[in-house]
Amino acid sequence: MKLCATRIAIIGAGKGGTALLDLLHQIPDVEIVGIADKDPTAPGLKRARDLNVLVAERVQDLIQNHGVNLIMDVTGAPSMEPLIHTLKRPGAEVLSGAATRLLWKLVQHQSKLEAELFQADKLAGLGSFAAGIAHDINNPLQLILGLAENLEEEQDLAVVHEQARDITQAVKRTSAICRDLTRYARRNGAGEEVMVNLNTKLDEALRIARYAVTLQDVTVVKRYAEDASVMGNPDELLHVFVNLITNAVQAIKDHGTLTLQTTVGPDGLVSASVSDTGCGIPKEAFSKIFEPLYTTKPPGKGTGLGLYNVMSVISKMDGHICVESDVGVGTTFRIEFPQVQPTISCAPL
Amino acid sequence: MGEFKSGFFMSESACNGRVLVVDDEPDIRKVVRMTLQKAGYEVIEAENGEKAIEAINTGENRLLLDVLICDIRMPKINGVEAIAYFQQEWPRVPIIVLTGFPDTDMATSFLRSGVVDYLVKPVEGEKLRTAVARAMEQRELAQL
Repeated sequence: MKLCATRIAIIGAGKGGTALLDLLHQIPDVEIVGIADKDPTAPGLKRARDLNVLVAERVQDLIQNHGVNLIMDVTGAPSMEPLIHTLKRPGAEVLSGAATRLLWKLVQHQSKLEAELFQADKLAGLGSFAAGIAHDINNPLQLILGLAENLEEEQDLAVVHEQARDITQAVKRTSAICRDLTRYARRNGAGEEVMVNLNTKLDEALRIARYAVTLQDVTVVKRYAEDASVMGNPDELLHVFVNLITNAVQAIKDHGTLTLQTTVGPDGLVSASVSDTGCGIPKEAFSKIFEPLYTTKPPGKGTGLGLYNVMSVISKMDGHICVESDVGVGTTFRIEFPQVQPTISCAPL
Repeated sequence: MGEFKSGFFMSESACNGRVLVVDDEPDIRKVVRMTLQKAGYEVIEAENGEKAIEAINTGENRLLLDVLICDIRMPKINGVEAIAYFQQEWPRVPIIVLTGFPDTDMATSFLRSGVVDYLVKPVEGEKLRTAVARAMEQRELAQL
């Protein structure tokens, strides 16, 4: 068993406990050994189960075992602190009262900042969509205008019918653009976790990335596994994929191949990867790519928040990102998602 | 090849001139063709810069192409590259840019380089026909 420097027990699984859980479980060298709440329907308990964190029925069981060395009391109940002090093992520290309230405020502040950064990156991205959107809207408009002008004089009824149908199709195509974009631009709803089909999400992201980057000289290869679905926030995953696809296409200078792949392993592990045959990432940049504000793109082209946000979303989902890259050959970003449902394993007899 | 060859067989009796339309969207080529044929122009088509260069270097197009209408955002050889090629190799053929993206800087730089018009889609039929007519006048002046 890996022994972590800080082994935390969280008491209270309301809003505060849930937020702490979400934040702390992303930090290396910190292990949340368990969480407890007298209310079995508290939201933090469900979240803990999703993250494979122990849910204890009794405070005593939690804080006296598992090598807990820090107890965080976010119940807000005045009676809890003395109780913890009576029950805890010697040497374990307790954070409660005003200290946890301050911590809770910091966590709230941090999550607000993250949401702002996420939105800022998306909106900055939308700016670069202008050329693509104009192209995709004005082309059908040209068709509609041309056909409508012709219809004013057209005598042949068959042609009239055909061109009216063409106009209807062109209008439908144009309205699909607006639907995709408004879905992409909206603020993410908090806690909207549902089953998300990764194949559909990758397709949707590809449609949106087309506005930011020209895909005309890029061959797109899709290798989708059936039923590649994960539990997550659909808007956040869409943004993750738009980011990875945009980066991949920008890495391809001239002609190249973009490969979108999903896999479902025999153990139920689901993965999604975006690969390009582009310029690759130099070894010395590897450690920096997920840092906020790190970018190699020219001014005005990249915010340096893209991969940082990708990492935040995936860490929050308890997922894992692997990057493989060779300069001049290409790059693969592979995201491994945690198992959603326990798999039924068939042991050989 | 078939894209522009069809133009060879379309000998309109009252031909006001031959126009090459370069756009990756078949819908746009169709509508431009429709609009210009009404004014008696013969229209040939190419789906990108590469095909356009092929088209202008083929058969009687070398002599008989009067006006080029070119999109910007296209695969293979894009509009900017294609226009640079045409301006160098075929300086007497007037060029009209027809693009989906209104970009003032790009428009200015094209117009300075000698492009006769920079039209932003959607453009009305009458406006397109006027632009082509003006380009034809320039073509005729160049031949004097």
